[in-house]
Amino acid sequence: MSKTYKYKKIIIRRRYRILAAILIILSGGLVLLPKYQKNVGIKPETFLLNLMSPERYISTDFLANSLISKDPSILLIDVRSAKEYSDFSLPNATNIPLSAILKPDNETYLDQDGYKVIFYSNDNFYADQAWLIAKRFGYNNIFVLKGGLNAWFNTILNPEMPKTSDSELEFQKYNTRKAAAMFFGIGAVNTLNSNAATPNIAPKKIILTKTKKKTTGGGC
Amino acid sequence: MENKVKNKHVYWNPYFGGFMLGLLLIFTFYITGRGLGASGAFKSTVVTFVDDVAPTHASKNAYYEQFIINGKSPLNTWLVFETLGVLIGGFLSGALGGRLKLYIQHAPNITSKKRLFVALLGGLFFGFGAQLARGCTSGAALSGMAVLSTGGFVTMLAIFGSAYAFAYFFRKNWI
Amino acid sequence: MGPLIPNGIIPPEWDFVIALLIGIIFGYVLEASGFSSSRKLAGVFYGYDFVVLKVFFTAAVVAVIGIYYLDYLGFIDISKLYIHPTYLWAAIVGGIVMGLGFILGGFCPGTSLCAVAIGKIDAMAYGVGILIGVFIFSEFFSFIQPLFDGSNYGAITLVDTLGISPYWFIFLFSLVAIIAFVISDLVRKKVKKIFY
Repeated sequence: MSKTYKYKKIIIRRRYRILAAILIILSGGLVLLPKYQKNVGIKPETFLLNLMSPERYISTDFLANSLISKDPSILLIDVRSAKEYSDFSLPNATNIPLSAILKPDNETYLDQDGYKVIFYSNDNFYADQAWLIAKRFGYNNIFVLKGGLNAWFNTILNPEMPKTSDSELEFQKYNTRKAAAMFFGIGAVNTLNSNAATPNIAPKKIILTKTKKKTTGGGC
Repeated sequence: MENKVKNKHVYWNPYFGGFMLGLLLIFTFYITGRGLGASGAFKSTVVTFVDDVAPTHASKNAYYEQFIINGKSPLNTWLVFETLGVLIGGFLSGALGGRLKLYIQHAPNITSKKRLFVALLGGLFFGFGAQLARGCTSGAALSGMAVLSTGGFVTMLAIFGSAYAFAYFFRKNWI
Repeated sequence: MGPLIPNGIIPPEWDFVIALLIGIIFGYVLEASGFSSSRKLAGVFYGYDFVVLKVFFTAAVVAVIGIYYLDYLGFIDISKLYIHPTYLWAAIVGGIVMGLGFILGGFCPGTSLCAVAIGKIDAMAYGVGILIGVFIFSEFFSFIQPLFDGSNYGAITLVDTLGISPYWFIFLFSLVAIIAFVISDLVRKKVKKIFY
């Protein structure tokens, strides 16, 4: 063997050794690199934009209307504690306390496209917080009941009698609300006890099927 | 002639070829979110053919009707376009490498007719198996391994394991 | 942020154009590496040419490392990638049948397309065979359906099955690949030389 041929052979073997070493370094690097928690969800700018727009608020009138017309796409979520939920709640509402909102079982209620999810609480404070957390993940179709249950009492179940100097519209609204109150089982009397579970709407749990993860198609 | 005697590598270095293939896989996953594939195009061809010739039979068969969508031809899939690309690319490479030749490649110990027959039989088994395992070596094994899918690894081990097991019985075909 | 088409960054109408381009590059690489020759492909089973092993393993290792690095850097979202579902017994039986087909024909569908493109008649016979095989499968589908649809474990990855972190697996996988390459070169020196 001539000297150049032997030299070339050594070079060739070294070349493969270098490549193999690069491969080991790359895959070793993958093992050794520190793993950090990646940011999941929408960008902060988008988040701020959604935060500042009042589109997420649903008025009590709208909600009453939807419940009376039996809109099937509404999903009410009560974010108060379980005890407050059992004391009184809106018909067909599911109870997810604010502390449990990140549990994976509850994700099916939030991460879906079919239902309009409406958070509510006593005022809209906790509901807003729940909305913020859910929005952070980038979920759509989530809303907040403006004013919460307090507004519900004050406008629907116990509507304020408009003054005689108010417009015709106010009177119409008042009558609609009175009718809604009767639908929800409150009599013409302006009193209500806290256990006003509406008798004509049986509270049933909405069973959601686990939404399948939207994966890309593929295969051979 | 000298090339054949020395077995000179007129092909790429296999590590380089593998590297390019790996880059292509990364690229494919990055852009389309799915891997490569090959046997799906054959399936689409068969479905289209049967649908054209005997539509009622096709719609009654549980396997065909998964792929027959009213209005769109079953050939309108990603894999068929990719397969067309493979044909073009292979032709291009063969042309540039001077390897275009219409012949039957076979080992010296068997005849060309036998080689054709054995190839047909091999294709038959492979087509059957590829439908059963939902993939072939490029689709299931290669792309499956690239995302560490269990099914991909199982399929690949099964293919190569059984080929090694059967290799002894067919050695006259190759050596 | 990848994958681009599922995330809407590239409009889905480009999907088929990109498929064509990817196919062209795929075909070119396969043919240039020598996969259009059935005797070269079958060499891995008889020890005289290990091109299948080298290309396959290298491609798998490079792809896996690349994808996981992209995932680490935040360029790709692994949960959106298509993961081949695991139908255990269908994969095993299908794989065995495919192995038989491989050793008989010496091609796999992708490489047979390359071979057809350069004019090999036995590859055309192989292609016709695949079509007949698919036809037979669909005709007898009702008998095979329980095997076909059964034992579906879903789109699981090795991380779920073996329970080890994916990065360690990739590291071990690259080690195994390098060892396999060295062994294949050793074997090739010992085996009788074949000219094709």
